[in-house]
Parts: sequence; C-alpha cells; structure tokens
Amino acid sequence: MSSFYEERGRFKGIFGWIFSTDHKRIGLLYLLAILSFYAVGVFLGFLMRLELIAPGPTFMRPQTYNALFTLHGVIMIFLFVIPGIPAIFGNFFLPIQIGAKDVAFPRINLLSWWIYMAGAALAILSLFTGGGPIDTGWTFYVPYSLRTPVNVSLAVLGVFILGFSSILTGINFVTTTHQLRAPGMTWFRLPLFVWGIYATAWIQILVTPVVGITLLLTLMERLVGVGIFDPAKGGDPLLYQHLFWIYSHPAVYIMILPAMGIISEIIPVFARRTIFGYKAIAFSSLAIAIVGSFVWGHHMFVSGQSDLASVIFSLLTFLVAVPSGVKVFNWVSTLYKGSIEVAPPLLFSLTFIFLFSIGGLTGLFQGALATDVHLHDTYWVVGHFHYVIFGGTAFAIFGALHYWFPKMFGRMYHKKIPYLAWALLFVGFNTLYFPMLLLGWEGMPRRYFDYLPQFHTLQFVSTVGSWILIAGLILMFGNLIHALFKGQKAEDNPWGGATLEWQISSPPPTENFYEIPRVERGPYEYSK
Amino acid sequence: MGNHKNEAYSRLGMWLFLLSEILLFGGLFILYSVYRFQNAQIFHLAAEALNRPIGTINTIVLLTSSLTMALSIYFLKMEKPRRSLFFLFSTVALGVLFLINKSVEWSIKFHHGVYPNAPRLLERERGEILFYGLYYSMTGLHALHVLVGIGILSGVGLWMMRGRIHHKHVLPLENSGLYWHLVDIIWVFLFPLFYLIT
Amino acid sequence: MRTYTLVWLSLVILTGVAVSTAGMDWGRWSLGITLFIAFVKSGLILNYFMHLKDEKQIKWIRWLIPGILAILVLFMGLTFLDIAFR
Repeated sequence: MSSFYEERGRFKGIFGWIFSTDHKRIGLLYLLAILSFYAVGVFLGFLMRLELIAPGPTFMRPQTYNALFTLHGVIMIFLFVIPGIPAIFGNFFLPIQIGAKDVAFPRINLLSWWIYMAGAALAILSLFTGGGPIDTGWTFYVPYSLRTPVNVSLAVLGVFILGFSSILTGINFVTTTHQLRAPGMTWFRLPLFVWGIYATAWIQILVTPVVGITLLLTLMERLVGVGIFDPAKGGDPLLYQHLFWIYSHPAVYIMILPAMGIISEIIPVFARRTIFGYKAIAFSSLAIAIVGSFVWGHHMFVSGQSDLASVIFSLLTFLVAVPSGVKVFNWVSTLYKGSIEVAPPLLFSLTFIFLFSIGGLTGLFQGALATDVHLHDTYWVVGHFHYVIFGGTAFAIFGALHYWFPKMFGRMYHKKIPYLAWALLFVGFNTLYFPMLLLGWEGMPRRYFDYLPQFHTLQFVSTVGSWILIAGLILMFGNLIHALFKGQKAEDNPWGGATLEWQISSPPPTENFYEIPRVERGPYEYSK
Repeated sequence: MGNHKNEAYSRLGMWLFLLSEILLFGGLFILYSVYRFQNAQIFHLAAEALNRPIGTINTIVLLTSSLTMALSIYFLKMEKPRRSLFFLFSTVALGVLFLINKSVEWSIKFHHGVYPNAPRLLERERGEILFYGLYYSMTGLHALHVLVGIGILSGVGLWMMRGRIHHKHVLPLENSGLYWHLVDIIWVFLFPLFYLIT
Repeated sequence: MRTYTLVWLSLVILTGVAVSTAGMDWGRWSLGITLFIAFVKSGLILNYFMHLKDEKQIKWIRWLIPGILAILVLFMGLTFLDIAFR
C-alpha cells in the first residue's frame, strides 16, 4: 500500500511538493508555513511582554514597541489564524471526509498556496524597505496610516494579496462540498467539521473583497492621494472603519467556525456517543456566519458613530452569541453519560470549551454599550480576544494536531508528554491573559508602551505567564516534531473514529480511496 | 457524464468568483452612496463636467461587446469556429475601443488639472474632491478589469486557434464570457451614477 | 441568435431612455429611475447573455445574485444607520 508521500508525477524532490496539486501535500505545505509564522508571532509577543515587565523603557524604544504589536497582530491574524484551520486541515481532510479524491479545483488550490506565500513575502519585505516596519496596529486606521512614513504601502499590498488566497480557497471548498460528495453522503451525514469549513468558505468568498478594496484604496491614497478616506480632502475616517470591520468582524468567524467544527469532531469520538443535536450544530454554523456578518459596528461604539447604529449593532451582537451557546450546550450534552477517554485531543477540546466560554462571556461586556465605553481600547479587549482566538482557535488547532497526527503522518506521538505540555499551556495561558482582564477593568489602555506604576504587579505576572506558556508550546511541538521522525508507526484508526478519514490507511494513499465509498450511515455512529 | 459534472463545477466556481468581484465593487458603491448622500448638490454639479457623449458611446461599446461575446459562444457551440473567432476578436476590439475612449477622457481631465492630488482640485470643495476620488477609483478599477478581460479573451482566442477550445470544450470560452458580462454589468451601474446624475 | 440581438436592442434603447430622462427633472425620483433602468439592463444581461435563467445543472446558482444584492443592501443600510443619524 503506497502513501501520498511516495514520489509520483512529473516533479522530483521538493518540486514534487511545491508544484503538487494533491490537497494533502498542499495542506502540509500550509502547515509548515503557517506554524513557522506562528512561531515568529509568538516570538514577537514574547518580546512585547519582556518590554512590559516593568514601567518605562525596558530595552526598546516606543517606536519599536509600536512596530512589534502591529507585526504581532498582522502575522497572527493574516498569516496564522485566518488561513489556519481551513488551509491546513480543511485542505487535508475536507475531500477525504466527503469521500472525494481531491478538491474541485486542485490547480487553483496550489495557486492559493503560492499566493499566500507571495503575500507573506511582501508583508515581510515591508519590514526592511520603504520607511521600515509598520506601526499603525494591524487595523491600519486612517488618517494615521495615510500619514505615517513607515512602509504601510507594501504591507497593505501584501495583505491584499493574501486576501486572494482566502477567496480562492473559499470558492474551492464551497464547490467541493456541493459537487464532490460521495454517493450516499447527504448533507446531514456530513461530518460537522465539513459544515464548519463550508460555512467559513462562504464568509471567505463574500467579505474578503471588502477589506480588499479598503486596503487597495488606502494604498492608492498613499501613492496617488485619491482622497477617499482622508479627512483633509473631505473623506470620512469612520467609513474606513465601517468597510474595514465589515470584513474583519466576519474574519473572526472565519477563525472560530472551523475550530468549532474540530471540537464537534473530537468530542463524539472520545465520548463514544453520537453528537447531541447534529442539525442544531450544523445550522448554528450557518447562523453564526450570517448574523455575524452584520455586527461589525460593535468595534466602533466610541468612534463617533451614531447612537442609533450603536444600539442596533449591540442588539445584533447579543443575537450572534445565541448560536455559539447552542454549540457549547450540545458539546457538553454529548459528554453526558458518554464513555469518556481523556486522550490529548479531548483534553485540548475541553480546554477550548472552557477558555472560549470565558472569552465569549467577556465579549458580552463589550457588546453592552455602557460597559464598552469603559472597556474599549483597554487591556480587557486584549484579554477577550486572546481568550477566544488563542484559547479558542489555537487550542482547537492543538487538539486537531493531536487528533489527526497519526492519520497525516502515519506515526504516533509519545502519549504522556501532551498532558505535561497541556499543564504548562493551561497555567501559562491563564497567568498571561487573565491579568489583562483585570488591567483593562482598572483602566489600562492597550497598545501602550508605558504604564502607571499601579499596573506593574499584574503586568509582571502576565509576563511570567508568557514564559510558562512558551515552555508549554516548546514541549508540545517538540513532542510532535520528535514523533514525526522517531514516532511509532500508527494504526489506521487509533481512536476508533467513524468518519471516512479513519477508514483509509495512515497516511492516506494519493487518491484517498481506491474506490469511491458508498456512504450508508452518519459520521458519529459507534455501535456496530 | 464526467465531463458534464466537471463543467458544472467550473461554472459554479466562476459564479462564486463573480460574487467576490461584485463585493469588491460593492465596497466602492457603499462609499459612493455615503458621499453622494452627504454632498448631493456638489455631486450634481461635478457630474456636469464629465463628458456624457463619451460615456454614452462607451456604454454602447460595452453593451455591443457583450452581444459579440454571447455570439462567439453561440457559434462555437454550433461548430462554426471561424465565426466564433470573429466575434471573439470583435469583443476584444470593442474592449480596446472602450479603453481608448477612457484614456482620451481621462487625459482631457488631466489636462484641465483635474486628477488625484492635483493642486487645482485640492482648492475646490471637499465634495468635489470626493467625487473625483470616487470617479477615478471606480472607473479606474473597472478599466483595469476591462484590460484583464482583454488579456483573458485574447488568450482564449489563441487557444481556439490552436484547437484547444472547440465545440466539445467550450467551457473556457463560456467562463471568460461570464467574466466579461460582469464587467459590462458593472459599467451599466457606473455610467448613470457618474454621468447621468444631473 | 435572434434573442441575443433583441436583448442587445433593448439594452441600447434602455440606455437611450436613461440618457434622456437624465436631462429631465424628476426630482426625488431621478436616482430611482436611473437605478431601476440599470437593474433591468443587468437583469437582461444576467438572464440572457449569462444564461442564468437557463441554468439546469445547478439550479440554485440563480439565487446567488438576489442573495448578494440583499447582502449589499444590508451593508449599505447598516452603514447608513450611522451616516444618516449622526
């Protein structure tokens, strides 16, 4: 039995990878790139926390700090979390889970990866050219982004190009899900991971162009002085914010919907029970995608937006919390009376539920107009989004890595180490981010290089938390990387999963299935 | 059977791509609607300075190019490749004509000192600067799409001449046609919003 | 083939109508009229030149365009909740 790692086709060696149209190889190409950028982003965060360990300058100038938090945001958001799960696990597993041999447009899939790399290269190039590293924050708000002498133009161009990668991936996944399902694979027999990726793909197609045009206009303003957002020429900076957030809010659903899909995959397997409320979870993914596209104004409550708009956006924001709550309820109900095995994938999934819930609850404080006036642009917000994005999406990625590792690489990792790594991660994470909620509550603004002495203790604690967290990351990834080379050979179905990827060999053959399967049962049926 | 299914995927993919293009321009239309709402009178006055005859000619040019595009596909399916190629290159020629008109129009404006960041423009009312900012951005982005379309159609034409596209494999021509028609539709909206608001 | 020519003729005529109505004073209705004509023209192009009404294999494609319009209207509407009420 041959696996997809064996050389085939026209190209040899590394070219057999970077010119491959095999969705599995492309998924691994993304894995390597994305985790590398994640490591850079973590390092930038580490440096930021080091600077903030005490008030006043510690070892860098304010301009450097501004560049650090901007780059940390740009890299983490555009190069890690947004592409993250769809590009890696969506690419690898969507075709297999629906019983197909590949995605609908394999060559466009490869193109998406190349575009991603090109966008990333431009963004990195902007660090060393023009006026130097950007300092606008990842949000590039005008008018500052129009005036600052740093290399906003190249960075913004890089992000614009990254957007195409996302749009093309979305087109590929929607078409694949509609057209390439195996016989018998009805919509309601699809794994919930597929529902998550599918809902996400629609968002990718529909809202990415809006940030595309916004960034393009910003670029034109800087290059040619078109005068659309520039207040000196009659432009309205709030319009920039509207257009920017019309994308960037749904973007967080691009980040979280696939992650929720992963949790929905893992929990039934390790509780050995079918998922509670399959249709509710499937439809809630669509509901989040739809309602979540109309809440963007909650980022603008104190911007000068009209009160009417603020009220409506606040109402819609509270609405979108409902389908997320449905998911959490259903996951917990699945565990009830299940035969639970807390293997590493489940451990990370349970942690996801805990951390994401904290993040979600803190979001409610921001969604309420009165409290947001106090919390906006403070450390509370920083705590909130790290709980949902890091505690949410990134922990789901950790869970997915531990779940699908044997399938992707045909090897098993040392099973005790993840628990130790988890302990470091959990303690480190909460030590790093919980103080931020307190700091924000007490009024410390975000994106500040310096702070009042009264905030010192919590900042110190937070920095120590970052060290513990990083130790956990090193241990966890170290274990996995070691297993890549020295791990024991894995079985085809080490967890006893019922979805299609577990019915083929580990690692899968190039064409996934020797014969397209005929599907006759649901994805989470464990009784024989 | 496989081929029909492949065509269906390809068409779906193309329509989804067109959706993303609509949203790309959609952002600009949102900006237009806001700034027009806030500067209604000035937009009226500024629009008078635009060259309505050239705009109208360009509209007819693009509409006709849509006709020739549709006919090109029709004739290819009817196994009349030479006629199809004739209409395809007519489409390209009309596209080029559109761009020539546009550049003439723009150079007249530039000559009058009305271009982004021009000192004469900056002296005028804020609303007028916004009008021209939107005018150049939107027609500029549209012209870029026309240019890309010309490139794609020319490429498709070359493939047809080499026999890689024929009556049994019309898909690339059809998909290119979808793109071209969308570019036409966008102009159908741009034209009245800039040239006919007096 | 005749359909195509008829559609083209209608499009050209509609363009003429649009240009002439622009010269007249319809007050508050001018924007509505020009947009209406633009929508009719687009509808003709979508249905006849782009064969949206003939789509048989993937029937739901025809709902994409109304869908996207709804989304744009909502985006515009919510933005105007800010712009018009400051």
